[in-house]
Amino acid sequence: MRSTLQSHSPPSQRGLTARRACQFSVVFLAAVVLICGTSHANEKISFRNDVMAALSKAGCNLGTCHGNARGKGGFQISLRGQDPARDYIVLTRDWLTRRTNPSQPDQSLLLLKPTMQVAHEGGRRFDVGSAEYQILRDWIASGTPDDPADAKKMVDLIVSPREEFLSATSEGNSKGWQVQLSATAVYSDGSKRDVTPRAVYEISNPIAEISPGGSVRGQQVGETTVLVRYLHQQVPVRLAFLRGGQGFAWNAPAPANAIDTRVYAKLQRLQINPSPLSDDATFIRRLYQDLLGIPPTADVARKFVADSSPSKRSHLVDELLERPEFADWWALKWADLLRIEEKTLDRKGVENFHGWLRDAFATNKPLDQIVREIISARGSTYEVPPANFYRALRDPFERSEAAGQLFLGARLQCAKCHNHPFDRWTQDDYYSWGSVFARVDYKILENNRRDTNDKHEFDGEQIVFLGAKGDAKDPRTDATRPAQFLGAKDQIGAKVDPLNELAKWLTSPQNDRFVKLLANRTWQQVMGRGIVDPVDDFRATNPPANPELLELLCQELRSPGNSADSHVAFDLRHLLRLILNSNTYQTASAPNATNREDEANFSHALVRRHTAEQLLDATSLVLDVPLKFSGYPTGPRATQLPATRLVRRRESPSTTADQFLAVFGKPPRLQSCDCERSDETTLTQTFQLVSGSLVNQMLAEKDNRIEALMRSHPETPALVTELFWTALTRAPTTDELTQTCQYIEAAKSRRIAVEDVVWGLLNSHEFLLRR
Amino acid sequence: MNANPISRRRALSVGGLGMLGVTMPKLLQAGDVIGTRPAHAKSVIFLYQFGGPSHLDTFDPKPDAAAGVRSHFGVIDTAAPGIRICDQLPKMAAVMNEVSLVRTVYHTMKNHNSASYYALTGHAPPLDDIRLRDTLDLFPAYGSVVDTLAPVSDGMPSFVAFPHIIRDGEVTPGQHASFLGKAHDPLLITSDPNDASFSLPELSLPSGLTTQRLQDRRSIQQLVNSQARMLDHSVAARGLDAYYEKSLTMLNSSRVREAFNLSAEPQSVRDRYGRTTYGQSCLLARRLVESGVKFVNVYFANNIGGRTTNGGWDTHGFDNTRMYPILRDYQLPITDQTLPTLILDLKERGLLDETLIVWMGEFGRTPKINDNISRDHWPQCYTVLLAGGGAKKGFVYGTSDKQAAYPDKDPVLLDDLAATVFALLGIDPHTEVRDKLNRPLPVSAGKIVTPLMS
Repeated sequence: MRSTLQSHSPPSQRGLTARRACQFSVVFLAAVVLICGTSHANEKISFRNDVMAALSKAGCNLGTCHGNARGKGGFQISLRGQDPARDYIVLTRDWLTRRTNPSQPDQSLLLLKPTMQVAHEGGRRFDVGSAEYQILRDWIASGTPDDPADAKKMVDLIVSPREEFLSATSEGNSKGWQVQLSATAVYSDGSKRDVTPRAVYEISNPIAEISPGGSVRGQQVGETTVLVRYLHQQVPVRLAFLRGGQGFAWNAPAPANAIDTRVYAKLQRLQINPSPLSDDATFIRRLYQDLLGIPPTADVARKFVADSSPSKRSHLVDELLERPEFADWWALKWADLLRIEEKTLDRKGVENFHGWLRDAFATNKPLDQIVREIISARGSTYEVPPANFYRALRDPFERSEAAGQLFLGARLQCAKCHNHPFDRWTQDDYYSWGSVFARVDYKILENNRRDTNDKHEFDGEQIVFLGAKGDAKDPRTDATRPAQFLGAKDQIGAKVDPLNELAKWLTSPQNDRFVKLLANRTWQQVMGRGIVDPVDDFRATNPPANPELLELLCQELRSPGNSADSHVAFDLRHLLRLILNSNTYQTASAPNATNREDEANFSHALVRRHTAEQLLDATSLVLDVPLKFSGYPTGPRATQLPATRLVRRRESPSTTADQFLAVFGKPPRLQSCDCERSDETTLTQTFQLVSGSLVNQMLAEKDNRIEALMRSHPETPALVTELFWTALTRAPTTDELTQTCQYIEAAKSRRIAVEDVVWGLLNSHEFLLRR
Repeated sequence: MNANPISRRRALSVGGLGMLGVTMPKLLQAGDVIGTRPAHAKSVIFLYQFGGPSHLDTFDPKPDAAAGVRSHFGVIDTAAPGIRICDQLPKMAAVMNEVSLVRTVYHTMKNHNSASYYALTGHAPPLDDIRLRDTLDLFPAYGSVVDTLAPVSDGMPSFVAFPHIIRDGEVTPGQHASFLGKAHDPLLITSDPNDASFSLPELSLPSGLTTQRLQDRRSIQQLVNSQARMLDHSVAARGLDAYYEKSLTMLNSSRVREAFNLSAEPQSVRDRYGRTTYGQSCLLARRLVESGVKFVNVYFANNIGGRTTNGGWDTHGFDNTRMYPILRDYQLPITDQTLPTLILDLKERGLLDETLIVWMGEFGRTPKINDNISRDHWPQCYTVLLAGGGAKKGFVYGTSDKQAAYPDKDPVLLDDLAATVFALLGIDPHTEVRDKLNRPLPVSAGKIVTPLMS
């Protein structure tokens, strides 16, 4: 229902197509004539407080317009007005451009262009006489002064309301979906000013219209975030438009645990009923796929469904959490993020690092300890497996961006070139954080790379160590900034070991961002969507769908004391157990009339395509044909592969199984982001399944499970039933049984007909999708 | 079991691939602002000359330059008054009245992979890295952008690339959809169109599998799907189903198969294009454009070559080889046979005005002839050829200096060239797409070179 706030979206841009971004707010601006232009006529115009706000309101400094790094039409100002001092110079000192002309203010290009008195590629931004016009004109006419050093500065922006649940007055009627936002600027001298008409309003999920004056009118059921921006401050407002009317009756089951309590509280407020629990067959298949990456066998599934014990689901959760495949599956998830690939780490490195992760999950090493060991790792990449984390990241800023995104949920990349437009991070923050990792260095004991031109390829042992001096220059000053942890107040002392210090600071239970990130990531790993989504994009402007739920998960990670079963802090299995035993996890995927549009509040299970490895392993297990990957002996499952092979290999070309994984989106592991893995569906994938050689070969393989089951189940109905349990974890329906049996019995070749039936099962939605 | 295949096919073709359920949200996200302009070109054939052809020995000869700079080849007048080119390209000379030359293309990337990425996407790489890593941070191929913003809507693929994946040590970035998503990757064909048994692998069934069996399999799949009823509520299920329908349609459709069927061409036509992988690839490109494909990448060679009469244009004279005999015996004759044939063939079929041909490499070559009597990499100034699709005819844009070393007048950055190609296709180059971190990026940050447009 809620979509993430789109970074960088210009005001009101989304939803309108076929129009240049710069031309947008025109529609709205035309309506804002003189709302506030005269109210402070006697007050002197302040460049930083008034002119900068007017430029933002008119959209001049957006990334699509003059805020672009290259500017537009030779005029470039800072993105979203981040740098008033520089903008002042650009606007006033560049005489030749006639941008500002104090002797004839109305002839200034700054007024002629946006009013289209002179052609402007960005279209009409405001009208002559509008509030913006008046502010800019007055400032130019008064000689374009900058603010004196002691001028008052804005220190805070107060927005109300911050959250609103708006009910339609009756079903299908958007009356009632209206709210007026207000924005008040607070200045350093304690004074306040209503800036409602001067603030900029941006919407994440374009299900409402917002007037330039901050009046919101919802257009459809759903949730959205409105970002209210004024000068350098921005405040998010959460809005929900509820169906309303008399029709809604809360019908949820009793909460199974504290997770359900939090989820249901939000759902009830949204007038959404959760779907009922999934049936046993769906549950066991889902749990196997989510925890182990593979489907259950026919026998196991049948036994589970037949079991009448009321606690069988929680017993199954306990059982699967202890299975060795659990460690394989979790190691795979983390290996994707830690860039475990062969070109940079080499064969031995990936096996060490992956093996170390696998062991950590097999022995239930606390998550904070895993991260501490990674962050503080030093030494030989052959002897100290987590040192490969640094081996993969060859540059200080690669390391700092990765650490920020992986362990603090901060996507810092924007702040490399300009202050982050939607987050608190400045360029100073970016380069101070990069300095923390500046001294990581490598002693390359040997490098047997095959391609001497390829500086990314390393084959041989390396020692990761902390050098005496680091090099992480801030290009603005050409100097390395003092090291500072992201968001921390103090600089790191020159004498401390920055990585050990970081490991301590980062993984402290008091480090809210770290705990939240781990809680959110764990939730997403089984639920398919983060409470904060994307899972590594924490910022005030991308609030959690359910803050209370996230806080609960954080508590469970932090404090072992509160729960019945004894566990240490940061216990992955403990947190998973809590999630998996909730109704929220176990709900069916089919929606009801009230939750059809909901995607963010966990009212029904999310349907998504299984990963490349899951699909390939499931096919291999169902058909009982082992897989062959390049460079490995026949046998491992795709979920057990330590790494992505990126080294060019003449001697061992990629197999059809390798190609299958690539086509279905196994990531090359060159980015520190979940987003590198693709769960898209493509035409190439269906060709792979329809006419590709791999699946067809496995189906036709002589000694596969089809052969075995045909021998052990000579009666067609028994055979078909067994095939359904094996491939789909359920019995066939009457229709399915009758029609499939008819098809097999009418066929000239029984074996070929059965192969076709199995193809149908392996290509069904139930097989390909998690539900 | 498919009660009404025709209406379903028609429903599918309304939006084309890009509009299927699964990619819909992505498309909306990508196309915050889909700028439209009047399109001149319906299709683009992008002929990529991997390795870097020498501009002084092809389309920007400097016969008056000193020995040691000027080409060992002579110059000839062409059908375009005032435009002279290398005398090894006589057939090309006869069609110069149909083409535009941009003689001042420039950038700063000296390595094949980084420069090629720039040439294939219009975006400068983060660094000039000889083995630039192909990550999802990098920009998509032109064709993938086109497939995202303005896909073909009648069941044909929007973007097809062949007959190689190009690589220099590593796979060269810029050949796929990158952060736009796999759905916008090209339909990639790596089998040889010059091979007698050439056919599209996707459209060939493994032995033992017949189209009848495919239909049977599809029926069983649909039977199972109808029980679980996921189509009713799952976008993912609907997306999958649409792709199955599409691939089966393509397998059954004579239209797609026919587009790839080179044996339908008369022998005389095949001969005219040249019985080379490149020649037959250009013929295939014409067939595809004719049947509605929007963007075709044809790679001259799979590697930079240059030492033998195989591979690309990278004629350094290494290992005691020499550029001039190789050019004379290999790249130039192939070019002179195939490129003018393609231009004339399109013209004869009335397709030239709506088909833009782009002929370019990643850089030119050093004005100064090196000690091996060959030339090295030179991105500071080189020539790109455009034909048809709304580009001017018999026209030269930009003047290089006396040695063809630097632009003298009207320099054109690769970004500007990209902007111009998008503009000719009717796509506003400022249209934003979003990367994996959701950052908005214009499809091209360059300036449209309007004087090139007719």
